[in-house]
Amino acid sequence: MNLAIEVKNLSFAYKETKVLDDVSFSIEENSFTGIIGPNGGGKTTLLKLLIGLYKSTNGSIKIFGDDPEKFTNKIGYVPQINMYDPAFPITVKELVMLGCVSSYSFRSGYPKSSVDSAMNAIELLGLMPYLNTTFGQLSGGMAQRALIARSLASDPVLLFLDEPTANVDPKTRDLIYEVLNTLRSKKTILMVTHDLNTTIKYVDSIISVEKKVSTYLPEKICEHFSLGLYHTPLMKEKENDNN
Amino acid sequence: MTIIDMFTNPFFQTALIAGLLASFASGIVGSYVVVKRIVFLSGSIAHSVLSGMGVFLFLQRKYNLMFLNPLYGAIIAAILSAVIIGWIHLNYSQRKDAVIASIWSTGMAIGVIFISLTPGYNVELFDFLFGNILWVTKLDLIVLCFLNLFLIVVVGINYQKLLAICVDEEQAKLQGLSVNRLYLLLLCLVAITVVLLIQVIGIILIIALLALPPMIASFFTNRLWKMMVIAFIFCGAFNFIGLVISYQFNLPTGATISLVATAVYLTILSFNRQKYKKIYN
Repeated sequence: MNLAIEVKNLSFAYKETKVLDDVSFSIEENSFTGIIGPNGGGKTTLLKLLIGLYKSTNGSIKIFGDDPEKFTNKIGYVPQINMYDPAFPITVKELVMLGCVSSYSFRSGYPKSSVDSAMNAIELLGLMPYLNTTFGQLSGGMAQRALIARSLASDPVLLFLDEPTANVDPKTRDLIYEVLNTLRSKKTILMVTHDLNTTIKYVDSIISVEKKVSTYLPEKICEHFSLGLYHTPLMKEKENDNN
Repeated sequence: MTIIDMFTNPFFQTALIAGLLASFASGIVGSYVVVKRIVFLSGSIAHSVLSGMGVFLFLQRKYNLMFLNPLYGAIIAAILSAVIIGWIHLNYSQRKDAVIASIWSTGMAIGVIFISLTPGYNVELFDFLFGNILWVTKLDLIVLCFLNLFLIVVVGINYQKLLAICVDEEQAKLQGLSVNRLYLLLLCLVAITVVLLIQVIGIILIIALLALPPMIASFFTNRLWKMMVIAFIFCGAFNFIGLVISYQFNLPTGATISLVATAVYLTILSFNRQKYKKIYN
């Protein structure tokens, strides 16, 4: 298996506040990884570092052996839904098409391959009946589906999702997991989540983030969590000492 | 004065054309301003334009440099303040609203000082602040035509990219778009629009024509390009109605246009109040 993501000694601080401290881990190509951790633990920051939106203070990130900036339009990113202005005048179709805006040209518009890819994503997420609906008028679950469709419009090799199942009903949550499950053989997926119970059924591994990072197999995570809500490396050391 | 007298008056005809040209800009760029929520920032660009107008008027009168039309000063000051404000917006993380407000007042202060130093009786200050569409010259119309043409071409080419940065800057950056450059371009388009609207409504009332027509248009559509078209139609109508009323009743044109726009906005809002009412107080 090739490594899709390789992080070495990564640190990041917001001014004086250190959010990630000397973090190292790797993720295999075409795997599905869940990222868990407490609020403010650095999950979203880690995601934004991986996609190249933030610059690290120290350490290195390699995406398929290269800098993240070189993979800009090959990365699909689903941000937290509360970032959006519900009054923005944009339809679902327009929003999804913006997921491949880099392929747009003034003279010929979007190429057929981009339109096909965007329409496939819309169909996959069950959004065909909502093509011309205003994005802001969608329910939370539908809006989340539209954001996932947008992230898939450019047919990315890496897919990063920031709490895509937060504030959605169980039916939509299951649909999102099913969609991600169908994509796992073709894309490397990283998903920040608090929904551990469902996540462990689907993912290949789980990364726990709280300044430091620990990687677990899903079947082992409950065992570690018996020591506390988020099992930190420090706790792991204590556990080993006790044993 | 009869209606025929009014429409055959060359001042009125020129004013109508100037209003129509300004409406193009208001519809197109005003829609971006409203959806991107940069109305305050645009107000700052508008007010700092007085510095350029004041400096050029001073140089024109004091040193008899007649080619230094205050309109050119407005263009330079608008672009310059757009770039400075854009730079602050992109690089300052805290209290940028206070810094932008300082540019707003500094620009006006420079303008007022230069206008006060300008020899002769300065009626221009009132025209700059509140607009005087009836004094638009043929040369002004030509300049306005070129500015509009530039605006339409630039927005036409960059429509999708500007839409992308208005919806979600992070996503646009991930798509490989040069977000900072596009943001500065948008502010420069705002600057050009400000210059176009100053002729009609003046610096102080500019926000009315920049924000109200797109806000009204947003009641009727869920597409940005349609919002631009509807805003253009409304803005053109406000200019026309405002001009007719001000001409008939000898009222200040800019203020009349502004009040017509506000009255229409409030009327349409009252019909849609259930839709836009806050659920929680």
